[in-house]
Amino acid sequence: MRTVLPLYFGSPEKPLFGCYHEPRANLRKCAVVICQPIGHEYINCHRALRQLAVRLCDAGFPVFRFDYYGCGDSSGNAEEGSIPQWVEDASTAITEARRRTGLVQVCLIGLRLGGALSVMIGARRGDLESLVLWDPVVNGKSYFEGLLLLQKEMLRLRSKPSRAQKPQSYMDVLGFPFSDFLRAELEKINLLAIGRKPAKNVLVIQSDEAGKNSGFEDHLSHTEAHLQYQRFDAPPIWLPTATGSLLVPSQVLQAVVSWTCRTCS
Amino acid sequence: MSEEAVLFGEMKSLVGIVTDPPEGGGNDHRPAIILLNPGMVHRVGPGRIYVTIARKLAAMGFVVLRFDLSGIGDSAVRHDNLPFDKSAVRETQNAMDFLQATRGLGHFILMGICSGARISLQAACCDPRVIGALPINLPMPDDGEGNPDQTDRRAAYYYWRVAIHNLDSWLKFVTGRADYRQILRSLQFWAKSRLPSQRKASPESLKFETNVRLLASRGVQLAFICAADDSPLETLREAVSGVLKESRMPDDARIEIMPRTDHTFSSLSDQERLLKKICELIDAIVAASSYARFGQFDVVVSPERSGKLAPGRRIRQVASRIAGWID
Repeated sequence: MRTVLPLYFGSPEKPLFGCYHEPRANLRKCAVVICQPIGHEYINCHRALRQLAVRLCDAGFPVFRFDYYGCGDSSGNAEEGSIPQWVEDASTAITEARRRTGLVQVCLIGLRLGGALSVMIGARRGDLESLVLWDPVVNGKSYFEGLLLLQKEMLRLRSKPSRAQKPQSYMDVLGFPFSDFLRAELEKINLLAIGRKPAKNVLVIQSDEAGKNSGFEDHLSHTEAHLQYQRFDAPPIWLPTATGSLLVPSQVLQAVVSWTCRTCS
Repeated sequence: MSEEAVLFGEMKSLVGIVTDPPEGGGNDHRPAIILLNPGMVHRVGPGRIYVTIARKLAAMGFVVLRFDLSGIGDSAVRHDNLPFDKSAVRETQNAMDFLQATRGLGHFILMGICSGARISLQAACCDPRVIGALPINLPMPDDGEGNPDQTDRRAAYYYWRVAIHNLDSWLKFVTGRADYRQILRSLQFWAKSRLPSQRKASPESLKFETNVRLLASRGVQLAFICAADDSPLETLREAVSGVLKESRMPDDARIEIMPRTDHTFSSLSDQERLLKKICELIDAIVAASSYARFGQFDVVVSPERSGKLAPGRRIRQVASRIAGWID
């Protein structure tokens, strides 16, 4: 029984970790690449994105999930992460998915910061068939402020951590280091400033209250992309839960699979 | 140091990452180290701490495998009806079989946070290849949500560890806005928990003590790491110290308490201190088990040492006391 193939890919200097889900039957003509969030959001969303990959694979799509440099199982230390590096990593993952499947059409699915990176990649490359943006980070500054609020809340509920022995050149956000450089890059993210269409077909999934008034839907409707927008009353799965459980919002996964099946035959 | 993605197990459905030491940096006498899932979190661990631990230990010359038990992370769900506790032990043994077959290693140290800690003990009881276990923030058997003590324990933990240091909490207290009934109940709970006659040992607690006793009798090196902010600390201390006193083991070497640290090591300084502690304890376990098995020291010196401890001397003391006890 082989359900998934774990592998390292990319350059030997900076190998990236990926999981390739190979469908057994009803092979579709489009490969799916999943761009995950970062930091604690990556940990909290891993289960849901893995379930999404399995469902898409059952529907006939070859699916490739991967970890950015300095994240998850990929090489590099967490404090080495940067936006240009991660955009490059996502492009490398698309190339790897095409090489493995022999398919040209690619659908990119991005959650939270993975959504923002997907828009950047799609607009830069201009060759994406479809794009699913699940509660994407539209404004990097608001995103980082949200992270800091969460960190403050976490510190309120535990005893104050002891000071690090080494002087730190990065901020601690829920156990993940954010360098000053990364913070500055994150704060520059503004999807409303990207005018080019990121893909032929775009689905935006919005379950986060905070993201509903970002103006992103309106902005995308002015590009040439064929846009669909779906709202869900689903929990923000990227946030830590009181019990430490990892949430899988079935209705959102179903919506993504249905749309992908309709859009990418 | 190199990392390899692997698939293993009865159905080749368990996903893991083997971190190998740098070329020529390994040692066949050293045990391999296996990291077990912290609850439902996949093999990367909270704050990516498992990756950091694996890379650090590989740099010290150990082969490290961190993998997902079935149904967690990237590993497929099992299709039999084996309960989780049993399948987790069996899959940990699969991990040992895999490292034995591919790396020629026959001795293992098991390590894990939370439920990974529990599985490390259970698997150690079932497999003679395990020479040491390092359970971190072990959930104690009577720690379930259904336990009526649980609310009082959590409240007591909050008042004594967090609120007492918080100015806002004191302001609430002196201005009549505090929950005095809850404070009183937590005081009662705290007082009661210190009276030996009030302690009720559940069947699970007794089983835990039996397992610790069994492992001690087999010479399996045990070192518990506990975050001070983790509420079941007192229960663990009570359960383990009884067994340790009975077996004349040096209890100060057995339970390491990390002050101002929470259950998932959610700050970078927590993680830094945890990593340092793990390196020290792994060194001690290897030294003690090398002495017991080969009659010689094979002390692995980790590059980072705290000034507080004198590890070399401490390791020798612990190792000779343990070896004497085993003889």
